[in-house]
Amino acid sequence: MALLVIDDLAKTYDKVTALTGINLSVEAGEFVTLLGPSGSGKTTLLMSLAGFTTPSKGMISLDGKDITHVDPEDRNFGFVFQGYALFPHLTVANNIAFSLRVRKWEKAKIAARVTEMLSLVGLDNLAERKPRELSGGQQQRVAIARALAFGPRILLLDEPLSALDRMLRETMQKELKRLHRETGVTFVYVTHDQEEAIAMSDRIAVFNHGRIIEIGPPRDLYKKPSTRFVAGFLGENNFLSGHRADDDETMVEAFGTRFGFPLAKSREWPGDSLTVWVRPEDIRIGQAIGEEVGFRATVVENSFVGALERILLRTATGEQMVATLRSEAAVAALPGQIIDCRIDPSAIGVLPNETSGL
Amino acid sequence: MKPRRIIEVGLPRLLAWCLLGFLFVPILVVIPVALTDRDYLSLPQDGMSMQHFAALADWSKGWLPSMLTSAGIALACAAIATVLGVAFAVGAWAAGGWWPSLMRILLLSPMIVPPIIYAVGMVKLWARLSLLDSYTGVILVHVVLALPLTVLAIGASLSNLDQRLVQAARSLGARPMTVFGKVILPNIVPGVAAGALLAFVSSWDEITVTLFITGRAVVTLPRRIWTSIQDAVDPALAAIATVLLVITVLALVARALVEQRQRQRKF
Repeated sequence: MALLVIDDLAKTYDKVTALTGINLSVEAGEFVTLLGPSGSGKTTLLMSLAGFTTPSKGMISLDGKDITHVDPEDRNFGFVFQGYALFPHLTVANNIAFSLRVRKWEKAKIAARVTEMLSLVGLDNLAERKPRELSGGQQQRVAIARALAFGPRILLLDEPLSALDRMLRETMQKELKRLHRETGVTFVYVTHDQEEAIAMSDRIAVFNHGRIIEIGPPRDLYKKPSTRFVAGFLGENNFLSGHRADDDETMVEAFGTRFGFPLAKSREWPGDSLTVWVRPEDIRIGQAIGEEVGFRATVVENSFVGALERILLRTATGEQMVATLRSEAAVAALPGQIIDCRIDPSAIGVLPNETSGL
Repeated sequence: MKPRRIIEVGLPRLLAWCLLGFLFVPILVVIPVALTDRDYLSLPQDGMSMQHFAALADWSKGWLPSMLTSAGIALACAAIATVLGVAFAVGAWAAGGWWPSLMRILLLSPMIVPPIIYAVGMVKLWARLSLLDSYTGVILVHVVLALPLTVLAIGASLSNLDQRLVQAARSLGARPMTVFGKVILPNIVPGVAAGALLAFVSSWDEITVTLFITGRAVVTLPRRIWTSIQDAVDPALAAIATVLLVITVLALVARALVEQRQRQRKF
């Protein structure tokens, strides 16, 4: 049975719906990310899990016990805040010891635990500093150590890396993954950064307008999204319009070429007008070989972005699409030229147009 | 010095010193007056005398009892106003919403309403409750007058405090009283201390309302001074002003020393 079960949860503030119909199970030891644009409800859900927000409807249960209305101090969930919320008047060691003193641990046990937590987050020599004397990354580590000190079942993290610069963010991502592995604590992580979500999570729940749009492992959501929203929110994507071929309903026509439905069930979709998506990294240059889908496109622009070259193409239907290519492959693609492109058919996604509003 | 520099730097500096002199020299006049050898307010004529200071220490002359009365009332007022101020300010800070703002305006009204109007109202009310000329009555009135000061000072301290500290403490298992004692209070100590000091001082030299609601039983220091000005211009007044001046200067020096030591410890 799942550790944490969220059943049909909803939250409304004076007629504004923040969350609706939320169902989610989290297994013990899992790293689940709640991902979505700001205002999508992900933080409201996290606050409901922590007990700071009372849901209007639905139930949250831990180990099969209803905890929907349990006070935050009785839930035993760690919480890492955006901006850390460290106690400014306490030293690093006393910040970490706070939850242990509240629980009336023995002095020796507290000292041992604080030392253990400090070395877990690599701050052994900063025990006596005050939070304001630490850098952002160090404060972050203290916040994590403080939230983990009392051995919580679940660690809730609210955009903990958003205040850090890019380099530090990547280091902290690895650090969080390591802490997750080493402690075995269940992580529920809120972020609006899809790269962060993809890099860290076992599963991602994608939020929009107060609903969970899709839940799944990052790879599945990236490779086989079933909604336009997820296809566009995770990673870069090209959306093109397509339609069922007049002469063969098993074929799709789009961007001046045709190919078979890449997903078996897509044939059941009503309507002839479809949305086709292709990831920039799946487009290659050259004549199609074997099963590959070939098409011709005009190079509009060619820009160097480091390891890769970004090429803006105009297809035969007049739509634009972006391709990212390794520099040596892109040398021939000069603006104004018409070039042959190819795509592996399994990399093409087709979605019914009805879901484009989601 | 070049002429331009004299205009840009020298002139403003001279002005600043003149202003300071204008503020403080009149205060210093009380010192020689306190040392006068005559028994009316004057500068020393044939020599200096400590007789007026001696009179202050004489219990039967009434200065010492009223100083003790004032100190007692001011301490009680500071204690009560600080506790109430902390309770209100922390409650309003934690609750948020519209009602704390409304309550704050109500609480600040003693600062806005002229004291004389307040005093007239209090005479009527206290007469009915038979609290006229009683310690309880004076302390209660002083508490009401001091509350805006403590609420403002403590509120200012709280406005710098991150609301999420409360959530952080609760997520770590702290119950409301622990959150208050271990997280909120330690972080607003400067505001609480400032509030208590302001409350003490406001009670210590409150005269307007006190004049209306006290008679013979409760004689605070400001009231004693007021009475003595009315019937005779006693140089003891200058002596007491000198004592208060010295206490104030000592307090300021002590504060500066403590601050300097704290700053040194930090680096």
